[in-house]
Amino acid sequence: MDKRIIEIMQRVFDTQDITIATNQNNCEKWDSLHHLNLIVELETEFDVEFEPEEIAEMKSFETVRSIVKSKID
Amino acid sequence: MFVFRNYTIESLFDESVKFSGYGDISVLPDSDCYAWFYNAPIVFDAKRAVDEIAGIGDKLFMICEMIPSSKPFYIFSLENLFPLHICETDNRVAEAIAAINKKAIELSVQHHNVRLIDFGEFLSHHKPQDWMNWKFYFISQMVINPILVSDFKEWWGKKLASFTQVRKKCLVLDLDNTLWDGVLGEDGISGIKMSGDYPGNAFMYFQEGVMALANSGIIITVCSKNNEADVKELWERNPFIKIGPQQIAAYRINWNSKADNIRELAKELNIGLDSMVFVDDNPTERELVRQQLPMVSVPEFPQRPYELMNFYFKLVDEYFQTYRLTSEDQNKTEQYKANARRVLEQARFTDLTDFIKSLDIRIDIIAANEFNVPRIAQMTQKTNQFNLTTYRYTEADINTFIENGDYVYCISVRDKFGDNGITGAIIIKRDGNTADIDSLLLSCRILGKDIETAFVKTILNKLFSEGVTEIKATYIPTLKNGQVVEFYEKIGFQLQSEENGIKIYQLSMNKQFEVSELYTITIN
Repeated sequence: MDKRIIEIMQRVFDTQDITIATNQNNCEKWDSLHHLNLIVELETEFDVEFEPEEIAEMKSFETVRSIVKSKID
Repeated sequence: MFVFRNYTIESLFDESVKFSGYGDISVLPDSDCYAWFYNAPIVFDAKRAVDEIAGIGDKLFMICEMIPSSKPFYIFSLENLFPLHICETDNRVAEAIAAINKKAIELSVQHHNVRLIDFGEFLSHHKPQDWMNWKFYFISQMVINPILVSDFKEWWGKKLASFTQVRKKCLVLDLDNTLWDGVLGEDGISGIKMSGDYPGNAFMYFQEGVMALANSGIIITVCSKNNEADVKELWERNPFIKIGPQQIAAYRINWNSKADNIRELAKELNIGLDSMVFVDDNPTERELVRQQLPMVSVPEFPQRPYELMNFYFKLVDEYFQTYRLTSEDQNKTEQYKANARRVLEQARFTDLTDFIKSLDIRIDIIAANEFNVPRIAQMTQKTNQFNLTTYRYTEADINTFIENGDYVYCISVRDKFGDNGITGAIIIKRDGNTADIDSLLLSCRILGKDIETAFVKTILNKLFSEGVTEIKATYIPTLKNGQVVEFYEKIGFQLQSEENGIKIYQLSMNKQFEVSELYTITIN
């Protein structure tokens, strides 16, 4: 799952430079618009839907992973 | 490309595209081309919707005057994604939208760089309930459902490509089983079918389609293996043939090779082979022409007569679509032009200042209180672009500033189209006659009308009137706040030092700033 998330992030943020430490503060492209793109891509890839409150929280690889995980488990 | 818009639509376009502020037309940056992509307002009150739509029309009109005529300007038709129908016969909003779209047509006639984009055509490919996704709308003001993004990109890419497509000039038509059902030499002039029941009606429609092309300026020619005398007799005696000597500019009806005939037609009409499209039901003839005259376009021909209409639409789409009317339709164009001039005379605004004045912008600067502290804290957390220091504060932090006697103000902006609510804040620490601007931030929504300058100057005037003369300010760069790197210079601050991009400013006030009179400003 980590790999799939990283691949999506690489695509959305147009950089290979994505690690589990990536977050909104250390990723230049991660602004509010790319954030929405990321959410849409994740929803499609994992066939899940996030609540607005979750979307607001998903601002790092770690939080993205834990929320995606909670959805598909 | 630079896009004027009033909702969040960034994800519909490539990363290279730049966008205006929401509803903002005050900035016209240099760009290779421009687009206008507004959506009808999502409001329940029809009266208000109609007013806002009229305002959108005013803005469009003004921007259209400002864009250099050498730059393409794509105007997306205004569509209503929020068709509220409590009363089925209440057409006010639909009529207001239709009026704007009509105005856009007139603009496109008047300005040769303007091209209309029928956004409704895109929407018609999708179910109305899929147009919006309220979750994304509520969290980001995104009006178009994200699941439509990839379809939109494909559709828009095709549109852009079609703009550069060169229209073909000439249609070369076969006759037997192409313009009519049957073979003239075998079935005779009354045996071939081009009217009445199927399949004749399919050929009749196809002929009418060819006529429409002729009327739009396409040169129609015929290249057929037949006896010329038979065809001439048909033209004279069969009342159903629509493509006759009046419509045909030149023909080759003989038993020679079609490639040779087409070459001769090109010479006779003095047009290039690459501007010709050859339509023939016979695959052998098509293959021969493709091989010998690769410059001629040769589309596949449908197997069954009922497929002729789809074939025709594809033919128009790929080869004969034109955006502008040709000289044959000049009279019509003149009428359009006269209408456009009338619109020009009716135009209410001639420059941006008048326009801003007409918006009746009211700026309320409000001291922090228990009702707005949560919003102020939230803005310090969320605002990235227009944020000079990007210090993040909690409600408790804000309350501490207030208890310390620091200045904490927020700004609320409304105009005749509506209330944007609290959209900015400033935090200033005060110590005797000196003050230090700790935080200054504004939502992108209200930028572009120079409200930010009026806001800061009004606050500084208030400080000055309370005895503050020395003001310090700081800019701290982040990945996202590049647009305000020179904001304090614009106000009149002096740069004291700059280290790692952090800029420290100083301003000595000896009189009040003059604040623009375009707005009504209150402070309390």
